[in-house]
Amino acid sequence: MSTAAATRRGLDRASRRAGPAPRRARGRFMAWVFAAPFLILFLVMYAGPLLAGLGMSFTDLRSTDVRHPLNVNGVGLANYQRLMHDDAMRKAAWNTFFFVATGVPLTIVFGLAAAVALHSGIGRAKTFFRTGYFLPQVTSIIGIAVAWRFLLDPQSGLLNEALGAIGVHGPAWLADERTALPSLVAMATWRGFGFDMVIFLAALQGVPRELYEAADVDGAGTWAKFRRVTLPMLRPALLFTVVYSTIGYMQFLEEPFVMTKGGPLDSTLSASYAIYFQFGAGNYGYAGAAASVLFTVIVALSFVQFRVLRPKHL
Amino acid sequence: MRKQVTAGLLAAAVVLSGCGRSGTATDDKAKNVDTGKASGTITVWAQGSEGEQLGAFAKQFEAANPGVTVNVTPMGMDVAHDKIISAIAGGATPDVSMIGTTWMGELAKTGAVDPTPGNLIDKSRFFPGSWDTVTFDGVAYGVPWYVETRAFYYRTDLAAKAGVKPPATWQETQSFAKAVKDKAGASQGVYQNYTVGSWQELLPLVWQSGGDIVRDGKWTFDTPQMTQALTQFQSFYKAGTAPNKVDEGAFPQNFIKGQAAAFYSGPWMIYALDKDGGAGFADKYDVAPYPKGSAGGTSLMGGGDLVVFKKTKNRAAAWKFVQWLSDPATQAKWFQTVKDLPAVQSAFGDPALKADKRVAVFGETLKTAKTPPPYPTWDQVAHVLETEIQKVALLKESPADAAKTMQTKADGIGTGA
Repeated sequence: MSTAAATRRGLDRASRRAGPAPRRARGRFMAWVFAAPFLILFLVMYAGPLLAGLGMSFTDLRSTDVRHPLNVNGVGLANYQRLMHDDAMRKAAWNTFFFVATGVPLTIVFGLAAAVALHSGIGRAKTFFRTGYFLPQVTSIIGIAVAWRFLLDPQSGLLNEALGAIGVHGPAWLADERTALPSLVAMATWRGFGFDMVIFLAALQGVPRELYEAADVDGAGTWAKFRRVTLPMLRPALLFTVVYSTIGYMQFLEEPFVMTKGGPLDSTLSASYAIYFQFGAGNYGYAGAAASVLFTVIVALSFVQFRVLRPKHL
Repeated sequence: MRKQVTAGLLAAAVVLSGCGRSGTATDDKAKNVDTGKASGTITVWAQGSEGEQLGAFAKQFEAANPGVTVNVTPMGMDVAHDKIISAIAGGATPDVSMIGTTWMGELAKTGAVDPTPGNLIDKSRFFPGSWDTVTFDGVAYGVPWYVETRAFYYRTDLAAKAGVKPPATWQETQSFAKAVKDKAGASQGVYQNYTVGSWQELLPLVWQSGGDIVRDGKWTFDTPQMTQALTQFQSFYKAGTAPNKVDEGAFPQNFIKGQAAAFYSGPWMIYALDKDGGAGFADKYDVAPYPKGSAGGTSLMGGGDLVVFKKTKNRAAAWKFVQWLSDPATQAKWFQTVKDLPAVQSAFGDPALKADKRVAVFGETLKTAKTPPPYPTWDQVAHVLETEIQKVALLKESPADAAKTMQTKADGIGTGA
């Protein structure tokens, strides 16, 4: 009895040692095989270029060196120091900050307002409005640019004609340093809030009715219900839209590219645009440095947003 | 994880320390090319309308040279530069490519372009300014294909209404602008571009006042002539006879509507205006040579060049095709196909080119037109100019200060040669 039990236990131990171990190794191997397509793609198409960009930011690589990219001089942090003293880059950083600081809240507020209105109020026309608000998101930026130029045209634009009707002389929106960037913020907000709205709409449908019923029993008004029930329940959606919009606005490029070419006087020059220009001019080292800075800032911002907005119970 | 990062950085440091410029400049020498019978396939890259039309046009070359196939790859002008640089980096260049005239310095410096064989191409056929666009560091790479230059477009009807003739001098341009604004209702006077590409407005003015932007391999922007040029440019904004509060894209509609009575641009505007202006608009405007400054009426030369890449597997056929495209008869035919002005002077004697008087104005201007220096950093320096020109146009900077800033910033960028 005791011998048999001992033997079985011994067998158990032996089989545990001999049997599952190779199986586990094989399982691990298979896991790597399945992960390989993604990993290889990621390493070659994402991590590789990222590291190459970082690497070239410490050199004086230019477009004339492309045939012998290793035949360049290391310049240490010179490119980064030059960034700090480059008027255009500083202006671009400020413009990007302005764009993020105004564009992100505006897009989210409009998106949330539209979502709440569609979710609770407007019944029949829901699909119409939902599609309508989302439409700019899927429209080509070129088409949007043409439409907005007509809208903002200083002489015959709709906006200035409307202002003229009430006796206000509207400015040349895109040709004036003071109004060009705000005009682009308005355009980007209009273009982007439909996306946030769709996210919020989906999240709103996941808020349990019982919570509102309980709030009703407690005598909460509309605002209190929104503030104490809806907003907390939308926290994950908020986190997503804030991070997503911030990354998008940080890389703001299309709007100035098609509307103003960064002008007048660099007043709509964004960080991405400035980097794009440096790459185009063949200054790969310098552009790599600027791109690395932008990348770092975006990662840091996203990290902070995750910290601040993460769901409370996690 | 941290260990891996450190290891990665170390590896990068090792790689970097293995780098370093060897310091040898390109020592390209032109090699003769076999002028016998060509055969095989060549790939040609071309941009914009040239790219769209060249494929069909090249059939004539194929017919004259049995056994040669020309494959034309059309591409957008906006992506062409990056595509060519990528192709050089990847060693996947075509046999022949059209390039913008200001790219030559950069491409030559990469060492990927074949110097022009002296036994095939005769440089004296071309406009001197256009030959300058293919020359870098004393060596010619490729040939000029077509040329562009700038002249003064004006509304004949508005000028008649205001009782003025097209201006012949800088002073007359000022009075012309004032007259059409005051007497002919052209609210914007004379349109001058002050945003992207505005360096093209400025360079002729510098040359017309006797200056230049480069001497002995150094930028020379802080000169009295540059200040004069900027002062002339700014005078229109000061007098309110040139618009600086219009949107990008307002031009050329403002000219067609009669808000602007004149502007400076290249030959392509003839066909754009005839198309956009509608029926009868061709009778309402004309082209005049640049008004002269103290040192004449030098204009700016631009256009497209053709290069052959060193990696070509069919050097003979590639150069033969390039030679055919720069032949006077082909050049005249090409003008009839896409309205590109010939880079070969004698082609202007062709009836097709003589028929249009407006084209003849450009032909005359081309004889003295000049180009910006073929330095690899030109795009960046041009951007510096554009920024300062805009400040001058918006009356936020004095011409002298702008000239100083241009000098400082351009020196910071260098010539890259």
